[in-house]
Amino acid sequence: MLILGLIVAAFLGPIFVWWKSEKPSLPRYGIASAAAVFGAAVTPIGMGQCAFAEETSGVDHLLAWALMAGGAWLALIVTQSVFDRRDGKRTGGGGVAGEIRTGGYRMGWWVPWLLLSPTLIILAVFLYTPAIQTFTLSSKLTRLGAPRSKDVCFGNFSELLITDPVRLVAYPLLAIGFIYAARLWVKRSTPDTWSRRGADVTSVVAMLSAFVAFYAMFSAGGAGQVAYRPVYLNTVIISVGIVVFGMVGGLGIAYLAFRQIKGGGVYRTLLIWPYAISPAVAGLLFFMIFDPTAGIFTYTMENWFGIDVPNYRESAILAQMAIILASSWKIIGYNILFYLAGLQTVSVDQVEASLIDGASARQRFTKIVLPALSPITFFLLVTNLTYAFFEVYGTIDFMTKGAPAGKTSVAIYEIIRVGVNNGDLGRGAAQSVLLFLAVIGVTLWQFRTSGERVSYGGS
Amino acid sequence: MKYRLMVLAAAIALVAAACGGGADATTTTVADAGGGDTTATDAPSGDPIEIDFWVAFSDEKRLGFAQDRAAEFNAAHPEYNVKVTSFASYNDVFDAAVLAVDSGQPPALIHFFEAATRQALDAVDSSGNKIFKSVTEAIGGRTEILGEPVVLDNVVSAARDYYTVDGSFYSMPWNTSSTVLLSNMDILNAAGVTKPPETWGEVTAACEKVMAMTDGPSGCISWPNHSWFAEQSLGQQGELLANNDNGRSGRATEVFLNSKGMIDYVTWWKDLADKGYYTYTGQQRDWGGVDSAYLAGELAMMIDSSSDTVIHTDEATDLGFELKASFMPRNENVPYVGNLIGGATIWMLDGMDTKKEDGALAFMNFFSNPKNAAAWHQLTGYVPITEDAVALLNAEGWYDEAPNAKVASDQLAAAANTPASLGALIGNFVGIRDILTLAIEDILVNDVDVATRLGQANEEANKSLSEYEALFGN
Repeated sequence: MLILGLIVAAFLGPIFVWWKSEKPSLPRYGIASAAAVFGAAVTPIGMGQCAFAEETSGVDHLLAWALMAGGAWLALIVTQSVFDRRDGKRTGGGGVAGEIRTGGYRMGWWVPWLLLSPTLIILAVFLYTPAIQTFTLSSKLTRLGAPRSKDVCFGNFSELLITDPVRLVAYPLLAIGFIYAARLWVKRSTPDTWSRRGADVTSVVAMLSAFVAFYAMFSAGGAGQVAYRPVYLNTVIISVGIVVFGMVGGLGIAYLAFRQIKGGGVYRTLLIWPYAISPAVAGLLFFMIFDPTAGIFTYTMENWFGIDVPNYRESAILAQMAIILASSWKIIGYNILFYLAGLQTVSVDQVEASLIDGASARQRFTKIVLPALSPITFFLLVTNLTYAFFEVYGTIDFMTKGAPAGKTSVAIYEIIRVGVNNGDLGRGAAQSVLLFLAVIGVTLWQFRTSGERVSYGGS
Repeated sequence: MKYRLMVLAAAIALVAAACGGGADATTTTVADAGGGDTTATDAPSGDPIEIDFWVAFSDEKRLGFAQDRAAEFNAAHPEYNVKVTSFASYNDVFDAAVLAVDSGQPPALIHFFEAATRQALDAVDSSGNKIFKSVTEAIGGRTEILGEPVVLDNVVSAARDYYTVDGSFYSMPWNTSSTVLLSNMDILNAAGVTKPPETWGEVTAACEKVMAMTDGPSGCISWPNHSWFAEQSLGQQGELLANNDNGRSGRATEVFLNSKGMIDYVTWWKDLADKGYYTYTGQQRDWGGVDSAYLAGELAMMIDSSSDTVIHTDEATDLGFELKASFMPRNENVPYVGNLIGGATIWMLDGMDTKKEDGALAFMNFFSNPKNAAAWHQLTGYVPITEDAVALLNAEGWYDEAPNAKVASDQLAAAANTPASLGALIGNFVGIRDILTLAIEDILVNDVDVATRLGQANEEANKSLSEYEALFGN
């Protein structure tokens, strides 16, 4: 099985070069092939080929191949960049560096490294080392204070996934196929026809199918597997909720607060306050508002309006809404701050011109203000999503502790519950690797899709 | 309404505390608090020996008690300096201690809870040495250490038996409690119930009357969804939670989360909840939520740890209702066997030199001497941990004054000494408890079958235990 993977890598190398390189040659094919095999071999050698040992399942093999493919791909990118440099072609990012090189900084090559070293050392000690340790831990069954640990290879990952390797490969491929097909349809169709409208709808559905594919790939539990599917679903619902609520609300309030009103400075300052509160305190505040026995909201509704408010922690929808509300309230101040800054950059000339042309308020907002704000929206999308993924633990812990029956347990909450509270370090590490990959994946996807639509002004 | 405002005020105070307090441990040095000048002049030579004592309490009453005793000890023994450090939870203390051992800066004493006894006994450092040392072994039969009388032999039997593993009494009990029923007699009397219910059937019957009242509370009874209550119930019914006599005649390798006793208990519980008698706060391990509902007059009864009996009795007096403590209600269909203890002990780390170790031992025995143990009980409601402390309280006439405070001790004394009522020693108990409370939450909130869901939980728990045994077992 391992050999098969390496052979495939050996063939993929030359194909990659043929596809990417402008000047393919026989030695380059050879080098690429060797590099791909080397990249693919790094992880199995590092992990002692455990994934292909006896008693391993098809899912283990798949995960190992995925890692090998990742290694090979990285090696090929490096190789390709070496080739490009040889050809005198600079690939991206050369702008600023090039200017510096030709500018006044005529010092040794080591000077920038020396200046960077304090940061690099701190990053290495506090970020890179723990990150690497997390990867190592994720392949083990281990606890603090244990006399021994056990290597479980991909066990901590494969128990989160469905056990059928065929379906595990099929679902993402189907989703990718769907997305590309929709894209093709968009390209082939002409604007303002029903065909284009259908294609637009289809491409949105295709994007959503990626979420569905992941949902289907995670295990629903039972038979020794971990029920990770509900955790995934909770994470998607709550994260999307936080981002949508936080950003739409932030933009709306910022738009209102931006107008010239009496005491506007005071409002604007007050609006930013929630951001200064820690997630745990936000959770506690909303806990006090909505608490079924002693909460202010519950009390008011019952005693003033005679409405019997149900315990939000006993209903999945209410509990998730409460978490979304509390978390987005906390991030909304941050979004307002950036949108207020952004609104100041919207060109007054353009707005005036559109006024003369008779554009309505809605048209001015959607055609001029929104596009002008797109860089900020893109930035906020990334930071809000990171917040929704990583910083909601305190809020959830105070408000629901994952109730009802795990319906508000999102990925980060689950990582801390499993890895810290229950002391199962290996599983906690594996889940945090998964979250790490998810964030990288989502960010890359945002860069690809939103990047095209972001306008930074100018040409 | 006044109660609600009080609860809110308490919550606001909590916010203030949360804002002010740091995220992790807060160190408080108490060296000079009581010692003053004597510390400096009487010190034999050089600096006093530091004895780090890591405590899992952070509230003013309990942490303050530990700090005051440390200050007193330091004043009496200027050659030592007991330093109390507060942590947010037992798990935090343990994790920090294990990491500190490997980094070469371990504390001398840590405060760790009963359910993790197996975990503490199993813990080793990176070179494979046991982290903790048996207190009995370290005392070595002495009756006095540095002038402090040894009180370990005087510990009440329920606690001694719980913490004695393989014939050795490993750690020094500190906060020890049991579960008690706290009844709001004003509400019960109004409903025509004259005495607190003693059995499951009586609870259901009493709740029927309470909920039939037109101006009654919104719920009848509650207790936190904490595994400890289920464990207590198994002890009462004489059923084991784990094999090998609850892990006491050998390592536990199998747990029984879907035993008949457990299914009966959870079925009764779910029935109470379905009828609207039991109020679920909606969170696991929600001690505070149950407390505030009860103190707000929304409940006629709550089952609680005796650790707060004295505190709650005082609060009830302030709020103007009569609070009566009684035994935890039991299953009337099976003979009563016994309730178990809960709480925590002080563990001593291995690898100290004799002088430091003696200081740590002397402090532990001073900490639970009759006077201190009695004061600790009177402050909170935890059971007085030594026989001499009980005698002291009797002599002072404390129990005539505070009959509620005696219930937990009486309940523990009424228990038969069997493995079932001693409680279980299980590896990864914390994780297994979580699996159980999650299953119970599922049963209470969603309409799932009790036996099926507990069977599922049992499967998960046994997988978790077998993994633990693969790492720690023989």
